[in-house]
Amino acid sequence: MAEDPQRNFRSAYYENLGFRGVEEKRSLEILLKDNPLDVEKLSTFSQRFPLPSMYRIHVWKVLLGLLPPHTDSHALVSRYRAEQFEDVISALTAMRFVNATTPPTDLYLRMYQLEIQQLPRRSELRSPVEGDKHFLAVARAMEEIVDDPVDCYWLIKCFVNQFNHKFGDSIPHLPKSLEHFLSQEDSGLFAHLKASGSLGSLPYCLWFRRCFAGCLPESSLQRVWDKVISGSCKILVFVAVEILLSYKIMLMGMNHPDGVFNFLSNIPQENTDAIVTKAIDLWHKYCGTPMHSVQ
Amino acid sequence: MSREQLNVGDLLPLLETSDLRQLDEIKGLINEHLNTDRGSVLLNGLVDYFLETNSAQAVHILSSVREPHDKLLFDKMNECMGKAQCRLPTLTLLGHVVRKQPSWIHKIARYPLLLSLLKCLKTDTDVVVLITGVLVLITLLPMIPQAGKQHLYEFFDVFGRLASWNLRSPGHIPEVYLIHLHASVYALFHRLYGMYPCNFVSYLRSHYCMKENMDTFEEVLKPMLEHVRIHPELVTGTKDHELDPSRWKRFEIHDIVIECAKVSLDPKEASCEEGYATMPEHFCAHLQQRPADCTASPYADFHSSYGSSSSTNLSTPRQPVFPPLALSSFSGTQPPCRSPTGTRRQNSSCEFNAAYGTKDSLWSPSSQCGMATPPFSRGMSPNLELSQSASHLPSCLYSTPAGGKGTPSSSTPAASTPPPSLSDEFSPMMAQRSTASPPCKDGRPLDHTKPALVRQEPIREPEVIGYRDGRSKDMPMTLNELSVYMKEQEQMRIEKEREDAAITEELQKLTEDKRDVTALRGFDSPFFSTTETLTGAQEKPLHYSVLGGSIRDPHNAISTPDKSETIGRSIVSRGISQEHPWSFQPVFTPIDHPSHSHLHRSPSALDDESLKFSFCSPSPCKPPPLPYEALFDMALPRTASLFIGRKTSEIVQRVSVERCQRNDLGKYGEEEGAEGVVSASPLEVLDRLVQQGADAHDKVLKRLPLPSKSADWTHFGGSAPLDELHTLRSQLLLLHNQLLYERYKREQHALRNRRLLRRIINATALEEQNNAMKDQLNLQSVDIMSLRESLQVEQQRYRQLWDDREIAVTRLHSQIHQLQQARDDYYTKNQELQSKLQECQKRIGEIEAELQRANNKVCHTGHLLNQLTAKLSSSESVQQQLSFLNKQLLLLGEAHKLCVQELQQAGPDTSKEVQMLQSSWGKETERLKQNLLFQTQKLDAAQQRVAELETLLSKKEHLIAEQKKFLDDVKVQARGELHASESRYQTQRRIALALQAELLQLYSRLETEDSSTTTSASPAEGAAETRSSEETSVILVDRPMKTATKEDGKAPQSPRRNGSILPSGQSKASPSAANSLNGNRDTPPPVLVEPPPHRPHSPLGPPGPLVSAEVPLTVGSYPNAKSFLGMRARELFRNKSESQCDEDEAPPPRLTGLSQGLKTELCVEPTAKSTPGASGSTSAQSITLVTSAKETNPGSQRADNRDTFGSRCPERPRQQPLRIIDYYDSHQEHS
Repeated sequence: MAEDPQRNFRSAYYENLGFRGVEEKRSLEILLKDNPLDVEKLSTFSQRFPLPSMYRIHVWKVLLGLLPPHTDSHALVSRYRAEQFEDVISALTAMRFVNATTPPTDLYLRMYQLEIQQLPRRSELRSPVEGDKHFLAVARAMEEIVDDPVDCYWLIKCFVNQFNHKFGDSIPHLPKSLEHFLSQEDSGLFAHLKASGSLGSLPYCLWFRRCFAGCLPESSLQRVWDKVISGSCKILVFVAVEILLSYKIMLMGMNHPDGVFNFLSNIPQENTDAIVTKAIDLWHKYCGTPMHSVQ
Repeated sequence: MSREQLNVGDLLPLLETSDLRQLDEIKGLINEHLNTDRGSVLLNGLVDYFLETNSAQAVHILSSVREPHDKLLFDKMNECMGKAQCRLPTLTLLGHVVRKQPSWIHKIARYPLLLSLLKCLKTDTDVVVLITGVLVLITLLPMIPQAGKQHLYEFFDVFGRLASWNLRSPGHIPEVYLIHLHASVYALFHRLYGMYPCNFVSYLRSHYCMKENMDTFEEVLKPMLEHVRIHPELVTGTKDHELDPSRWKRFEIHDIVIECAKVSLDPKEASCEEGYATMPEHFCAHLQQRPADCTASPYADFHSSYGSSSSTNLSTPRQPVFPPLALSSFSGTQPPCRSPTGTRRQNSSCEFNAAYGTKDSLWSPSSQCGMATPPFSRGMSPNLELSQSASHLPSCLYSTPAGGKGTPSSSTPAASTPPPSLSDEFSPMMAQRSTASPPCKDGRPLDHTKPALVRQEPIREPEVIGYRDGRSKDMPMTLNELSVYMKEQEQMRIEKEREDAAITEELQKLTEDKRDVTALRGFDSPFFSTTETLTGAQEKPLHYSVLGGSIRDPHNAISTPDKSETIGRSIVSRGISQEHPWSFQPVFTPIDHPSHSHLHRSPSALDDESLKFSFCSPSPCKPPPLPYEALFDMALPRTASLFIGRKTSEIVQRVSVERCQRNDLGKYGEEEGAEGVVSASPLEVLDRLVQQGADAHDKVLKRLPLPSKSADWTHFGGSAPLDELHTLRSQLLLLHNQLLYERYKREQHALRNRRLLRRIINATALEEQNNAMKDQLNLQSVDIMSLRESLQVEQQRYRQLWDDREIAVTRLHSQIHQLQQARDDYYTKNQELQSKLQECQKRIGEIEAELQRANNKVCHTGHLLNQLTAKLSSSESVQQQLSFLNKQLLLLGEAHKLCVQELQQAGPDTSKEVQMLQSSWGKETERLKQNLLFQTQKLDAAQQRVAELETLLSKKEHLIAEQKKFLDDVKVQARGELHASESRYQTQRRIALALQAELLQLYSRLETEDSSTTTSASPAEGAAETRSSEETSVILVDRPMKTATKEDGKAPQSPRRNGSILPSGQSKASPSAANSLNGNRDTPPPVLVEPPPHRPHSPLGPPGPLVSAEVPLTVGSYPNAKSFLGMRARELFRNKSESQCDEDEAPPPRLTGLSQGLKTELCVEPTAKSTPGASGSTSAQSITLVTSAKETNPGSQRADNRDTFGSRCPERPRQQPLRIIDYYDSHQEHS
C-alpha cells in the first residue's frame, strides 16, 4: 500500500478522521481498470470496504456474473442481457402473463419463473408462495436501488440465484450462530429472549431469507448486500445481533414473542445506518477482515 | 540690676578690707556680677577704682576678667590712656593684665589701646611712664608676634626715640631714671633684635646711617650691639620671612623669650641653653651627668609645689600689700628699723643679685630641674610626702594669717611671734632647723639685726626664692655626689631629702606669702638675698670647719632661712650651729672637684661681693651679700662657673674702680663704671644703681628722724625733699616695674622649664625603652647564639646526611651506570637480534616468493600436465590409431605380402596393378579426406542451423506462450460471452417451451372445443397435460408426439407448424420419432419427406431433434477441433477448463432424457448413443446431413426457420456460420 505511488499520501489522515472511502474509491477504480477484472479481488474489496455508490451497481454486476470479467465483452453481454430481457418480456406479454400495467416486481417474478421454468400456467395462477414473496421483497428493494429495469431484473435474478445457490445450505444454521453471538455480546438480552421464548420466533425469514429486504431502508440495505454479494452471509447474523442490541431496551420490556416479532418486523428506520456500521464492525471483529489484499 | 550694680559699685571700697572672709565674699560677688553682667559699668568702676586706689585686689579682678569684658577693659584703658594723669596707673594696670597673660591678650593688637600705647611711648615725656610702657611693650611683644608686624616700625621708632632719649634730653631727668630707661631700652633692643632681626637691623641701618643719629649709635647702640651675637636669622631669614605668621606659630611665648635671650651675650640677659652656652667642657660633662641622675617622677611634685606656691601667691598676696609700705614708712622712725633699712640696703643690693638671679634663672631653671632630685627621691617614699603635704597645708593657713597679723602690728616683737608658731607647727623638723639656724647668724656675725628683721617680715617672697635657690643649690650637689659616690649614705640622704622636702614646702608657703609684698616693695624683696648671703656665709665656714657634725647637718644649710627665722629667738646658738654645716661640707667637698673648686672659688667671689658691698654700703650689712654669690655658683654650676668666675675677675677690677667712684659719686658711680668698662651691661649698671641708691638712701634715711619721711624731709628742710620723694617713689615704681618684668620673664622660664622637663621625661622614658630593648636584644642575641649552635648541629647533621646521600647517590649512580651498560648491551643484542629477525623475515619473504614461484611453477606444470595428459590421451589415441594403423599396416603388409606373393605368383603385372591400386588408393584417401572435410563443414553448418533453430524454437515457444495467454484470455472472454449467449439460449428455449406449453394449452382448449365434436382426443390430451405438468423434458418429448399425433390428426392444420417447429431437427427427428414413437401410432408424414437412406445410423434418429438443435452449434466448434489447431487447443484446455466436459456432458442428460423418453419406444442402438466419439462421428456426419439437407431443401429450411422463430431468433442460423468463421479467423491468426 505504501509503495503505491498513486495512493494519496493523505489517506492515513483521512482514515484517522473517519473519512473512509476516499482511498477505497481510488483503489476500486484501479481495480476496475484491469482488463480481465479480478473478481476475487473485487469481492475482497467489497468485503473489506464499503462500496462507493457510483460503482456499486457495476461491481455487483461483475460479482454476480452479470457481466463477464472481460470489459471488452461487457457491451456485447449487456446487449445479450437486454435482448434476453426483451425476449422474456415479449414472451410473457405474448402469453399475456403480463401487460403494461403489471408492476415491475411481478413482472420480474414472472420473468424469473419463466427462466427457471416454473412459470405456472395462466389458468393455474396461484397466490405467490413463500419463495415468491422473498423474491418479491428482494425485487422491491432492488428496484429502489437500481433504476434500469434490465439491470434491476438481472441483478435480482442473479442475487437470488447466487444467494440460494451459495448459502442455501448455511441459512438454516444462521439462527444458531445468531444465538451464539448474541450470548457473547449480551448474555442478558439473550437470556431474556430465551426466557421469554421469543428466541425461536424471531423474524428469521425476514432477516435471512430476504436479506433484510423490507426491514432496512435501501441506503443501509445496500451496504449489507455488498457483503452478501461479495460472498458472506454471516453479516446477516451480525446485523440481526446489532438490531437486537440496539433495541435491547425495547426488547427487554417485551415478554411476548409475538410482540417481539412484530416489533422486529417493523423496526424504526431512523438509525439503521449506525446499526449497519456497528454490525459491520462486529462482523469484522468476529470474522476478521478478509485478508486478501486489495492491492 | 541697677541697684545691684550700685551695690556692687559700693562694694569696691570694701575690697580693701582686712577681713579675709569678707574679702572673699566681695570678690565672689564682683566676679559673679562680671560673669552675669555684660555691661561695662562695673568694669569701668573697677578700673576707676584701681586708678584711684591702686588696689591690688582690683588688679587681680581686672586681670582675670573673662572674654566679653576684654574689649570693654581695653576700651576703658584706652580711654584712660588719653588722660595724662591716669596714664601711669593705666600702664601699670595694663602691665598687670599683660603679665597675667589672659587668653584674650592677643586681641590687644586689634584694639586702639596698642596704638595709644605706642603713641604714648612716642610722645610722652614722662620717663616713668615711658619706662613702664616700654616694659609693658616688651612683655607684650612675644604675645603678639605676628600681630605686631603692622606696628613694627612704630616699635622701632619707639626704640629709636627712647634710645636717643638720653642724648636728646639730658638734664631734664634724673640720672636714675635714665639708668632705668636705659635698661628698659636695652631690654627692648634685645627683644626686637631677637624677634625681628632682619627688620630691626635694616631699621638700625637706615636710622643710624644718618649723621644726626651717629652719636646716639656711638653712645647707646654700640654698647648694646656688643652684648648680642649675630642672629641666625640674619643669615638665613628675610624681612618677609620674619613677619610670616607661620614662623610664629611654632613658638610659644616663652619660646620667643628664650629665642631672644639666646642671641644675647649679656650674662644677665642671655640664655645658657644648649647651642648658645659657651661654657667649658667639664661643665658640659657636669650638665650631662646631672640629668642622668634625675628621673622624671619628681617633676610632678615640683610642679605641684610650684602650683601650691602660686595658689598661695594668688590667695595671700594682698595681705602684705600695705605692711611693707608701712614698714618702709615706719622703718626709718623705729629704732629697730635701722636694721630693716640696713636690710633694705642689703636688699637693694640683693635686688641686683636677684636680678642676676633672675637673669641667671634664664638658665637656672634647668639647674633647678637638676636640683629637683630631692623631691624626686622624696617621691619614692610617699608617706613622707603625704605627711609633708598634710603639714604643708596647715602651714599655709598659719603662715598667711601670721603674715597678716604680723604686718598690721608692724612692730618687730609682734611680727616675731608668728614664726615660732610656724616652727612649732613643724616641731620635729623645726627642731633640727632650729638647731641648724644659729650658723646663719654665725655667717654674719655683724648683722644680728637683719635676722631680726627677717623675723619681722618672715613671710617674704624673696626669701623663698632665696631658700629655694639655696636649697636647690645645695641639694643637687649633695645628691649628685652622694648618689654617685656614696651609696652607704643613701639612707641618710633619703632622710635628708625628706627633711628637705618638708622644709621646701614650708618655705614655699612662707615665701609665697611674701611674694606680693616684695612685688610691691621693690627694695624689700632683696631680703631673700640676705638669707642667701646668710647661707652662703654659713657655707663658707664649712670648708674650714673640721668638726664633723651630724650627717643631717647639710640640711641646715638649706634650712637656713628657717634658721634665719629663728635666729631672732636663738642668736646665742650660732656658734654651735655653724659647726653643723661644716660637718656637712666635708661630706661632699672631696667628691666633686668642680664644685669643690667652686666652693673654693666662691669664697673669693663672696669676698669680692662682700668687698663690693662693703664699698657700696659702709653699713655692717655689706659683707653678707658676698656669700650668696657662692650659692649662685653652686646652684648654677654651668653658667655660674663660666661667667661668674670671669665676672668676679672683672668685678675685682671694676670694684677697684668703682670703689673710688662710689666714694665720690655714690649713686652716680654706675655711669662711670659703665663708661669705664664698655662691656658693662645696662642691667649691671642698674644693679649697681639700685645698690648704691639703696645705700645712699639708707644713709639719708639714717639721718632722718623716725616719725615720718615727709617730716624728715621737711624737718631737714631740703630743697628737694618733695622732689626727692617723688623721685624715690617713681624709682620705687620703676624698680617695681622692673621687678615685675623680671618676674614675668622668670615665669616664662618656668613655663619653658616645665616643657623641657616633659621632654626630659620623654627622653628618659625612651631611654628606659631603649634599655628594655637592649635587654631584649641581648636575650635575642642569646637566642640567636643558641639557634646558631643548633644550626651548626643541624648543619653538621645535614652535612652528614648530605654525605650519606652523596655516597648513596654515587652508589646509585654506579648502579645506574651498570644498569645502563647492561641496558646498552641488551639494546645492542636486541638490535642484532632484530637485524637477524629482519634478515630472517627477508629470507622468509624470499622463500615465500620462491614458494609462490614454485607454486606457480607447480600450477603451471599442473596445467602443462593437464595439457600433456590431454596430449597424452590424444597421443594415446593417436598411438591407438597408430597401432590400429600399424595393425592395418601389418595387415596391409601381410596383404601386401600376400598380394606381393600373389603378384609374384601372378606375375610382374601385379606390380603394375599394385601401382595402380596404390594410386587409386591414394586418390581414394584423398577423396575421403575431402569428403571428411566436407562433412565437418556440413556438421558445423548443421550445428549452426540447430542453434538458429533452437533460438527460433524458443521464440516460437515464447510466442506460443503469449498466444496461449491470449488464447486464454480470449477463451475466458468467449466463455463469458458464451455464457451469456447460452443463458440467452436457455431463456429462449424456456420461452419457447413456455410458448409451446401455452400453445399446447391453447390447442388443448381448441381440441376440447373440437372434442365437443370429436371427444376422442380428450383422454390423450388429459394424459398429455398431466404429464407435461410433471416434467418439461417429458413434455418436450411428448409434444412432438402430440404434434405428431396432431399432425396425424390434423395434417392440414399444422403442416406449417410442424415444419416450423422442427425445421431440420423435426425433419430429422420426425422420422426417428416416427420410427420410435410414432411408429406405433401414426406415421409422420414429414418423416417421409426426409430420405432415410441418408442416415447411416438410424438409431440416431430419435435424438435428432435435439441433436439437430444442437448439432449446428457443436458442429460449429468441432470442425475446428478437428483441425490441427483445434486438436492442440483441446489438448491444452483439457485439463484446465471443463467447458469441453460441459459440452460433452450436455448431450448425455439430453440423451438420457431422450433415452428416457424413448424408453417407451425401442431403443435400437444404445451403444451408438453412449459413445461420444460416435456422437462426434454422427455429428460429423450430421454436418453432411445438414449440408445435404441444406442442399436438398434449403429453401424450405430457411422458410421454416423464418416461420418458426419469426423475428425472435433470426440470428441463430447466422450465428453458427459466424462462429465458424470466428474460429477460422482465430485459427488463421494462430497459423
